[in-house]
Amino acid sequence: MERLGTLEVKHLQKRYRTRNDDLTVLDDINLTVQPGEFISIIGSSGCGKTTFLRLVVGLEKGYEGEILLDGQKLNGPSLKRGVVFQDHRLLPWFSIEKNVGLGLKHPKSAESRKTIQEHLELVGLKGFEKHYPHQLSGGMSQRAAIARALVNRPEILLLDEPLGALDALTRMYMHQELERIWKQEGITMIMITHDVDEAIVLSDKIVVMSSRPGTIKKIIPVPLARPRDRASYDFVKIKEEVLEEFQLHTDYPFTYTI
Amino acid sequence: MSSIANLPAVIRNRYHGFISFLFLLGLWSAASHYNLFSREYLPTPVAVVTAFIRLLSSGQLCISLGSSLLRIIAGFFVGTSLGFVFGAAMGVSQTMEKLFAPLFNALRQVPVIGWIPLIIVWCGIAETSKITFIAIGAFFPILISTFEGIRSVSPSYVDVARVFEYSRFKLLSTIVLPGALPGIVSGIRLSMGTSWLLVVWAEINTRSAAGIGDLLTRSSEGKKADVAFVCIIVIGIVACLINELFGQLETRLSSWRKSYR
Repeated sequence: MERLGTLEVKHLQKRYRTRNDDLTVLDDINLTVQPGEFISIIGSSGCGKTTFLRLVVGLEKGYEGEILLDGQKLNGPSLKRGVVFQDHRLLPWFSIEKNVGLGLKHPKSAESRKTIQEHLELVGLKGFEKHYPHQLSGGMSQRAAIARALVNRPEILLLDEPLGALDALTRMYMHQELERIWKQEGITMIMITHDVDEAIVLSDKIVVMSSRPGTIKKIIPVPLARPRDRASYDFVKIKEEVLEEFQLHTDYPFTYTI
Repeated sequence: MSSIANLPAVIRNRYHGFISFLFLLGLWSAASHYNLFSREYLPTPVAVVTAFIRLLSSGQLCISLGSSLLRIIAGFFVGTSLGFVFGAAMGVSQTMEKLFAPLFNALRQVPVIGWIPLIIVWCGIAETSKITFIAIGAFFPILISTFEGIRSVSPSYVDVARVFEYSRFKLLSTIVLPGALPGIVSGIRLSMGTSWLLVVWAEINTRSAAGIGDLLTRSSEGKKADVAFVCIIVIGIVACLINELFGQLETRLSSWRKSYR
């Protein structure tokens, strides 16, 4: 059986029409993501990366071009695609256990309970079943959100700056955790980020986007062995390559006028 | 059971509240001890306690309080049910909001007491008029808090529901209603407070055979200040207890909300 989780994006264009304005947010996006790949999309804020993610999730409608998952055109949200938002979006009135089970059809069945338990263990939240979101730290909440997104066994996990709100140390720890979960589940992951290090640590490929309109500027492969050493020569080399993309607009990126 | 076991803790946490009462009691005792005011205007604490025991043993107090409570329950039930239904409908559906919001906003501006003459004309001065009056008062707080409660549920949670392909019913039952619940309960609490206020008003304005408001009116006719004191204290205590009860319910239902304190 062929592995599921191939995402193909062809000539994707997204425009917002307001009364007196026609804003192109995304233009001619072409991207193929293989099953089990980890892709990062990096770009400055306002480049349409979140819009891209929302289109792939199916939360955003009305686009030109094609988005295909395993050859099938997307039609609204689906349990085949899990999402982790930047803010964890756990429902504050439910326990962690109930939150993780939100996507299951029968969360009270024995099978579901087992699945929930397995996923809590996967993200390292065993023992926090009965806790409420406000009792958890930011990193723990985000881990619960990851468990919730994975509980339906989606083919693709989409992460919208999942670690953006965490402090630097927690974030580095979460990189390890995310990599472990990705390996363990063998799932396709697409992550939006603005953290270059994060993208290089985790990804097989880095998609660099430019803004207004959002287009793919470059796709940079990261052929480094895992786990990756942030201080290694190759790592720094790739980092330079990515950073260079953001400074190409101007000849003198650091000039200013008074 | 646990609330009885926790009684010392309750006293320890709340004794500040009793201090102001004790202070007032002390002031009152001193004023009557030194005969600062005529007994007719300011009865002594002992006279009030005596009146209280007299009213209690004759059964008059219980009957009055009981009939007032029954009116409150009936009016409160009608008012909050209707308020909740309209509030929920307006919160969930934009069409309903557009249809009803202007009407209710206009009606809300009319002081509840302003309805009395009309209600007397329409419903007479029997039970119906009192219950209608309380229902009107209870209707608006719950209407607004239900509506606002539902509207305050963050759309980002609705995204979560869409990702998990929730039906409209499941969206309402898992996300909208639990999110709006603390607001709804505080609306119920407000409605209950208004109901208490209005039952006394209604009873004073449309005479009835029994009721705490009637007891109060009759005390003024016979210049019985001690009875008036008993009524006022009883109204205060019962209202306080009910408010406390709903407060507890509210705290329990919104324990997931982090308070600023």
